[in-house]
Amino acid sequence: MSLAKRLESLDRRWIFLLIGLSVVLPMFLPITFPERITSQTQALYDTMESLPEGSVIMVPFEVWPSTLPETEPIARAAVRHAFRRQMKIVSLSNVGGGGPSIADRVLREEGNAAGKVYGIDYVNLGYRANYLAVLSGMGTSIRSIYQTDYSGTPVDSLPLMRNVDSYKDVAFIFAIADNATLDYWVSIVGERFGAKIGAGVTAVMAPKMFAYIDAGQMVGLLGGMKGGAEYEKLLGLPDQSTRGMGAQSLIHLLIIAFIVLGNVGFFLSRRNARPA
Amino acid sequence: MRGPLPLAVAFLAGMFMIVSFFSPHPAVEKASGDFLNWVSIVSGFSILLGVVSIAQNNLAKVKRRQKEWPYAVVLLVALAVMLAGGVLEGTDSGTVYDALFQNVQAPMMTTMFSMLAFFIASAAYRAFRARTLQATLLLGTAVIVMLGRIPVGQAIYDGLPDLANWIMAVPNTAVQRGIIIGAALGGAATALRIVLGLERTYMGRG
Repeated sequence: MSLAKRLESLDRRWIFLLIGLSVVLPMFLPITFPERITSQTQALYDTMESLPEGSVIMVPFEVWPSTLPETEPIARAAVRHAFRRQMKIVSLSNVGGGGPSIADRVLREEGNAAGKVYGIDYVNLGYRANYLAVLSGMGTSIRSIYQTDYSGTPVDSLPLMRNVDSYKDVAFIFAIADNATLDYWVSIVGERFGAKIGAGVTAVMAPKMFAYIDAGQMVGLLGGMKGGAEYEKLLGLPDQSTRGMGAQSLIHLLIIAFIVLGNVGFFLSRRNARPA
Repeated sequence: MRGPLPLAVAFLAGMFMIVSFFSPHPAVEKASGDFLNWVSIVSGFSILLGVVSIAQNNLAKVKRRQKEWPYAVVLLVALAVMLAGGVLEGTDSGTVYDALFQNVQAPMMTTMFSMLAFFIASAAYRAFRARTLQATLLLGTAVIVMLGRIPVGQAIYDGLPDLANWIMAVPNTAVQRGIIIGAALGGAATALRIVLGLERTYMGRG
């Protein structure tokens, strides 16, 4: 069989095997590379650093469980940064299928590690139906939407919430997102109510978000695992994103190699098909 | 309800929300907030409707022993357990609901999503061909961005990360902006059609 034929008829299980190995191997043999910080990540980090210590920030967990490997490390980095600067976090989610549970787990784990207390240093408001109504309603009064938090505790009994009732009481919004609700955070919360927004998103979402950054509607952006790794580097706390970049590097290289090989096969077979 | 009443409600509610956007008057803001609360409550009921509907459909599937009915049993059992756990015990960490979510649902959804990597690699090998000038440009851009997004790219050529970031920040942004403006205009036009009663599919007819 000619090389062209072989390349054209390559069993895709070989591709699956190589992809699997590229993900698994870096777990056992960690490979780390130096990360160059992009301007979008630096801007987000600088914004967080510029906020006075003790500021109240909002960290919406607009994520489905399916994207956790990408979004959870970003969320953890954001929460760690906030706690390190003694900020208070108000969290919520417009993703009914798991967002509040993810927020609860991440905040409690990071809160316990930083010695923070629920209700004083951070709260999780949970989920309410219809994100358009929720985002608009919180501009007037958070209490009109959330009378209780995720656990059913009345919001008024949470010390942190005593002075927080709308976006005006929040210094910054650091959204973690894997879906289009982030567009509404920008268009409703940012544009209508004047809140300052930055976000950590999945890599596939990042291209769209560049338009908001360029228009000044978002102050900064962490795009996928790379964005998370850059933020971890700025924080001086390399963790899951930094480790994940080893696997991501191998996968990207492998896919590029597949594209090149596929095209070599394509051009060889096209040349062979030409009449002599 | 298919008479003029739903149209009148849609018109008045739509017009009020448009006006309230521009009015800082406390009474208007209060009424607007109440409207948004109602939307949230109605949406909550629509979720309930969805749950009842999916339960009914799957129950019927099991009763009639339709194709792949055991999957319907799994769905119904999972639905019942999560519902009972959530209602009886709450959803806090340490509850049955939370344990099932964190240890069953989340890993399953992550696994399903991670399958994409395999199929993307396979598709890239089979379909990403430099057949035309446009396809070649797309291919070259993809390679630059993929390399620029990983540290190895920087090792190959120091300017690659900056080039990848420029592609994302300039040509990509121009295209994304066009898409966003187009989608926003489309959304505004559709909303206006609903408010004016020209678009009536939400009432179950064209």
